[in-house]
Amino acid sequence: MSAKPETSKPEAPGVHEKPFWSLRPKSDRQAGDAVVSNFLLHWFPAKVYKPSLDWNYSFWLGTASAALFLLLVLSGLPLLLLYVPSVERAYGSVKDIEFVVTFGWWIRAVHRIAAHLMVAVVFLHLVRVFLTGAYKNGTGRGQHREWNWVMGVVMILLTLFLSFTGYLLPWDQLAYWAVTVGTNIASSIPFVGPDVRELLLGGRTIDQATLIRFYVLHVIFLPGGLGALLAYHMWRIRKDGGLAKADREVLETTRKEAAPGKTKTYTLLGVARGTSPLVRASSLERSELTVNSVNDLVRRVYIVVLGTFAVVSILACFIPSPLEEPANPMITPNPAKAPWYFLWLQEIVTDTTVKIGSFTINGAFLGGVILPGILLTALTVWPWLDKSPMEAAGAWFHASRKRQNAIFLIVVAIILAFTIVGTFMRGPYWHFFWPWQAWPELPTRI
Amino acid sequence: MNSDLEKNPEAAAASEPRAGDGSRRDFLMKLGIGAGITALAGQTVASLRSLVPNVSYDAPTTVKLGLPTDFPDGLKFLPNERLFVFREGKTFHSISAVCTHLGCTVRAEALSKVETEDVSGKSLRLTHRYLCPCHGSEYKGDGTNVSGPAPKPLEWYELSLAPDDGQLVVDLAKPVGHDFRLTLA
Amino acid sequence: MEKRTDSPYPRKDLPILAIIGVLLVISTIVFAVTDHRKDWRYYQAEFKKMVAEKFGAEKAATIPSGMKQIWVPDMRRADRCITCHQGILWKGFETADHPYKTHPPEPIRTHPIEKYGCTSCHGGQGFAVQSQEAHGPVKFWEEPVLGKSMGEGYSLAGDDKGALIQMNCNVCHRFDRETKGMDMINHAKKLVRDKGCRACHVVNSRGGTIGPDLTFVGDKAAEQYDMSRLGGQKTAFAWHVSHFKNPKEVVPDTVMPNFGFGTKDAQSLAALMLSWKRAPVPVDFRPGVARTDPQTAEEVADEQRMKTGPGAWFVKTGCFICHSVSSLGVKSAAQIGPDLSTAVEDTQSRFGKTVDDFVKNPTGTMSVVLTRQIVLTDQEKEVAIQKLREAYAEHQKQKAAGTAATASGGH
Repeated sequence: MSAKPETSKPEAPGVHEKPFWSLRPKSDRQAGDAVVSNFLLHWFPAKVYKPSLDWNYSFWLGTASAALFLLLVLSGLPLLLLYVPSVERAYGSVKDIEFVVTFGWWIRAVHRIAAHLMVAVVFLHLVRVFLTGAYKNGTGRGQHREWNWVMGVVMILLTLFLSFTGYLLPWDQLAYWAVTVGTNIASSIPFVGPDVRELLLGGRTIDQATLIRFYVLHVIFLPGGLGALLAYHMWRIRKDGGLAKADREVLETTRKEAAPGKTKTYTLLGVARGTSPLVRASSLERSELTVNSVNDLVRRVYIVVLGTFAVVSILACFIPSPLEEPANPMITPNPAKAPWYFLWLQEIVTDTTVKIGSFTINGAFLGGVILPGILLTALTVWPWLDKSPMEAAGAWFHASRKRQNAIFLIVVAIILAFTIVGTFMRGPYWHFFWPWQAWPELPTRI
Repeated sequence: MNSDLEKNPEAAAASEPRAGDGSRRDFLMKLGIGAGITALAGQTVASLRSLVPNVSYDAPTTVKLGLPTDFPDGLKFLPNERLFVFREGKTFHSISAVCTHLGCTVRAEALSKVETEDVSGKSLRLTHRYLCPCHGSEYKGDGTNVSGPAPKPLEWYELSLAPDDGQLVVDLAKPVGHDFRLTLA
Repeated sequence: MEKRTDSPYPRKDLPILAIIGVLLVISTIVFAVTDHRKDWRYYQAEFKKMVAEKFGAEKAATIPSGMKQIWVPDMRRADRCITCHQGILWKGFETADHPYKTHPPEPIRTHPIEKYGCTSCHGGQGFAVQSQEAHGPVKFWEEPVLGKSMGEGYSLAGDDKGALIQMNCNVCHRFDRETKGMDMINHAKKLVRDKGCRACHVVNSRGGTIGPDLTFVGDKAAEQYDMSRLGGQKTAFAWHVSHFKNPKEVVPDTVMPNFGFGTKDAQSLAALMLSWKRAPVPVDFRPGVARTDPQTAEEVADEQRMKTGPGAWFVKTGCFICHSVSSLGVKSAAQIGPDLSTAVEDTQSRFGKTVDDFVKNPTGTMSVVLTRQIVLTDQEKEVAIQKLREAYAEHQKQKAAGTAATASGGH
């Protein structure tokens, strides 16, 4: 049995004769061509390092975040046509989506659950990148992983703001008071705070002007901005030579042996790699270290994207989306809580109002602005503060980063603890309740 | 799958050939991709189905217009229903003000000379003509299109009396012939 | 040919891929089935069967299916109750069970459902199409259906356990002194008058200021009540009942005296309190709200005098809108037409007709008026002629008296 020559018909280089891409590429060339000539796949490298595909290195959290973002855009499309952004009709239109629109409840649940999960998954992605030191550069030339880290920080803020603007749209009590609490945190910034809030709300009270502002931000500017940043984020990953883990593998293998591999006619990782004597481009191409993106990477991306969809879709069948009473500026619900991802802040602002002599600093400023401001600044500049060696890039809990990982994890744990306390253990009047303790019965009208 | 193995002998050899292994993989791949695409297609259809309205926020087609005595002799235009209601003593009829060309509201213009004409076997006083502001269609007093792009005459709608309070009722979903008259007892 | 790099992944990943595909299909089926499973499908099928049994299959085929709603733009209510309660406008299901039962005709004759919807009277969540969500009580919806079970829950005094619905009636009827069919609220309104609540409380912008203003007390949120001394149900209604029975028990430092209200009194008053809401009801839904420009007392007195005077017939018939009849003391506000005191000679000079002839065969404006606005039978026309003659006779008499008076004065 000898292989039939593939070149029976002359092939133009780079022309992929299949309309989509081959599910079963017969050669490395065909696999590479599939990437080069396909619009959907062109942001993949032709070959990937096997370790980059590991489930337990990246946990594919970035891909899952992108999948959630895609799902949010998709599920947002029908909602865009069903929801009416007016204070008179918004609540009724959401009730309609819940009760009389066929599959409306499910679409809304998908959108809501995907939004909550996206906040969580994006946060976990950030945690993963920190703990693996993946914002550190390796041996390649032109690498700027720290830029991608800063971009990621901006993107997590955009994600939070997207979620926050979406919160107001149903125009129920939850929406109204969560946004009241949230925007008042912003207004405690000295000097400009009240103006920022007024600009955000389009006035001093939450009303039609606020609704339309939040709506337009939610459906156009924020997703547009996030989409653009996401594209750049992905592009930078390729520009930086793939995952940090790949750099690390190169470092290790080239240290073991420096035997040159076969020469290839195309650049495998699709980027200009460094030409330092330590790392030779050719050494990257050892076939036992890499696999073709088509189909091994494509398949895993498909699994992660579809898996994310499946999880959200199943959860949406069983977790109903709440819709409280119509927004009523005259009645503050008890307790009035911000969205859960702000509850650590709400928890902190409860305890941070300090009196120095006759001078009182509002907790909202100290806990809601100064503290998160410090955290955010530290987070942003951290890659420049991290002086650990190159070997720490792309390794979980590298010994050289022990101390910073510990500090980071403590901060994360505190944030999580405050979030859990705020979400599950705060009852009427913000009193503390254990999860097994019943809240006092809230009175009703009749 | 055998042909695949033939074409790719090295690959087949490397992946420790076992009977049925290749076909199992092929089946799994087809199942995974097929099921995924089927489900996504189903969910897309579900999303599109959500856009088909299930409940109606439209105004009802049967509308109470008021007591017959509230109508003057001659023509009364009801802008909400886009309807001309005519009264001749004790008989009533109604003509739609919706142009049959592209749905603009036509305007009634009083004729300088009232004519009586035989319309569908019944005599009718023609007091007005109707002009459409959008594309210049023109209709005669009984709604017949006479010039312009209008393809057919203005609709006549059924009038009746409400059994409970005696108000005039129009059914905008029920076109009638040009000989229709509601005559009060 | 180039070798294709071998990969261990297909064997690991393909089963996962297949499982995820299947999961996604399952979730799609689950939500499609969940969406299809709705209470109303069952009730609509049952009602169709009942109609088929009673009136034949042909009649049953005319029943619309699918979700239905009454959309009342004036009150921004979209009530989907009729999706299940299909029998409300059918005759013949008076004794059937809910939701097939015929609605009593009297209330919906005066409150047509296309104008009022369902929930503005009955309460409940009109948006919902599932039984529990629609009727309540359910979380996040403050208006449960005010039906019998609600009344039984409060052990309402009296036979009518569904009387709580009157709270909603009174949202529109609040300015009525007494309303037919609203015994509970009527009783409470009578108590408000008899016990002199206004001595201390402002009600409808009138009353004392010792106690709180009660005009919109129904808007007070349940959370604003101090329910700590309340046993049993923690609701605003229960609070008011307890408070009316014994104010000091609920609010120890209150100055409100104990009126010794019985259960029925206290419950009626509590219902009245909750009905005093600032409800967004369009003005034409409210009875007793004048929608005419009011007449002055003088104008009203004048009209009353004319109605009982010698010219009463001209007033009743409507002639006086245009014509004065000065000899009989009838004065028209508009005075568009000539004074009818002299009609007998006027018709001759104006139209060349006797008054008899003119009334029977009028010309000009009067021909329009007498065929359209004031349609008189032949008999009534005879009366009209007679009345006109009387007026003329009176006019003659007054004129003669007047001349005599001037003549005698001249002497």
